[in-house]
Amino acid sequence: MFLSFITDLFQQDFMLRALIAGIMLGVLAPLLGTFVVVRRLSFIADTLGHFSLVGISVSLFLSSIGIVTFFEKPLYLGIIFSIIGGLLIEMFRRSYNNFQEISMVIVISLGAALSAIFFSLSKKTGSLYNYLFGSILTVTNYYIVLILITALIVAILFILFGKQILSVSFDESSAKFLGINVNLFQIVFIIMLSIVVSVLLESAGVLLISSMMVIPVAAGMKLGWSYKSTLIISIIFSELSVFFGLWLAYSLNIPSGAAIVSINIIILLFVAVIKKIVLKSRIAKMDKIQ
Amino acid sequence: MQININNLSFAYGAKTIISNLSLTLNSGDYLVIRGKNGSGKSTFIKCLLGFNQVKAGMIFYDKVDITAFKSWTRFGYVSQSFDDFNYEFPITVGELLQISSLKKTNESDRLKLLEKMGIFDIINQNINSLSGGQLQRVFIVRAMLNNPEVLILDEPTASIDKQNKIFFYNTIEELHQAGLTIVLITHNDDIEELNYTHLLSMYGDLTTSFEERGVEVKEGVL
Repeated sequence: MFLSFITDLFQQDFMLRALIAGIMLGVLAPLLGTFVVVRRLSFIADTLGHFSLVGISVSLFLSSIGIVTFFEKPLYLGIIFSIIGGLLIEMFRRSYNNFQEISMVIVISLGAALSAIFFSLSKKTGSLYNYLFGSILTVTNYYIVLILITALIVAILFILFGKQILSVSFDESSAKFLGINVNLFQIVFIIMLSIVVSVLLESAGVLLISSMMVIPVAAGMKLGWSYKSTLIISIIFSELSVFFGLWLAYSLNIPSGAAIVSINIIILLFVAVIKKIVLKSRIAKMDKIQ
Repeated sequence: MQININNLSFAYGAKTIISNLSLTLNSGDYLVIRGKNGSGKSTFIKCLLGFNQVKAGMIFYDKVDITAFKSWTRFGYVSQSFDDFNYEFPITVGELLQISSLKKTNESDRLKLLEKMGIFDIINQNINSLSGGQLQRVFIVRAMLNNPEVLILDEPTASIDKQNKIFFYNTIEELHQAGLTIVLITHNDDIEELNYTHLLSMYGDLTTSFEERGVEVKEGVL
């Protein structure tokens, strides 16, 4: 079964496209995921995803009433709405300084409500399933180019501002003493995240975006001893889950996003259990020595 | 840098924390702020650093109003028990200092600072494996990396043992001797060990007193 998966991977175009898309997203998702986790904003991707869905539903609605703009591809309006959602989170986050999670609940609820309204107005509720759960097996060449451009933008932003974004993420209040314009970097970060979330939405779906970003990092944190090592371990786990998730989706004919996330969770549980066993045996050894 | 505070008042909602506080600090001064928990020390520091928006009174840095002041790199700040820092996520001391030295710092100066603060050997250790004393040294080095003119420390000795405390006080004294302006908050009674030039006492009932060592006490206004 595994062998036929490997041969199909290179013989079937759609499989190869899914693998290439998966490999790139497998790096992008945990890279942004580390920032999100450091800032204790693990729900932000879900929230932005819901707002991206608003953009998609508005785009579908516009085309249903005959307005065809350059937004014909729903993804673009998805990106724009995701950025709007991100800016709304920042705005609410400031007015509820001590209850930052409230900002996410407000924005996620608004996103879900608006999406439901526009999907229903566009009479395309049938396509909702794909947007909720995604499908990496149906991605097009156009989409792969889009991921590549996204990866390039993120790479450039990371090379130019990586240090600053990390500083703000680890310690927002001290960042201004390093000469960082904190507000500007919050916005750069939100835009970067919004683009990645919108691009992820097509293959992972609204409901599974967060899992692709956060779970590999949660597992990486258990083993990492530095930021760099945690990031590398997270990316390795993420790539493993993409590869084996695709295999599972292919072999059992189940949704690819769900398969990838399931493998992610299995890796996390495995790492957590092994770490606990190792720690216990270390403590037992130390007790013996004493 | 000259720091001028004129009739500063601050309230959280209806609760007044600071009332009509005025003081002036000049370059090279060493201010100790003492007071019990809840007397408004940290609130005052947050006003000084622009985290709390000042609504009544004025703060000037070199005659520039705080609302227009932009040169925050002239300040180094170590927060109370580093509670603003997310040190549960893995990051090594070296990585932290690397992302914190945004301006090009002289490498040999940086190494000297690490050596002097005794954290050269823990450069590859994860931040969350450090003791309170080690963490404090790391955060002081971080605050010093960009050569600030004013170093502000919020209750830096709260979570460290006596030995580290002595080391810490000596370090601050050396930095002060080197010309740095120091603002140090403490609720400890060991201020006699400190070679401060100015003392601000906050009594917790909105009264304060500001004195220059060896000069007559000036009482704050109710």
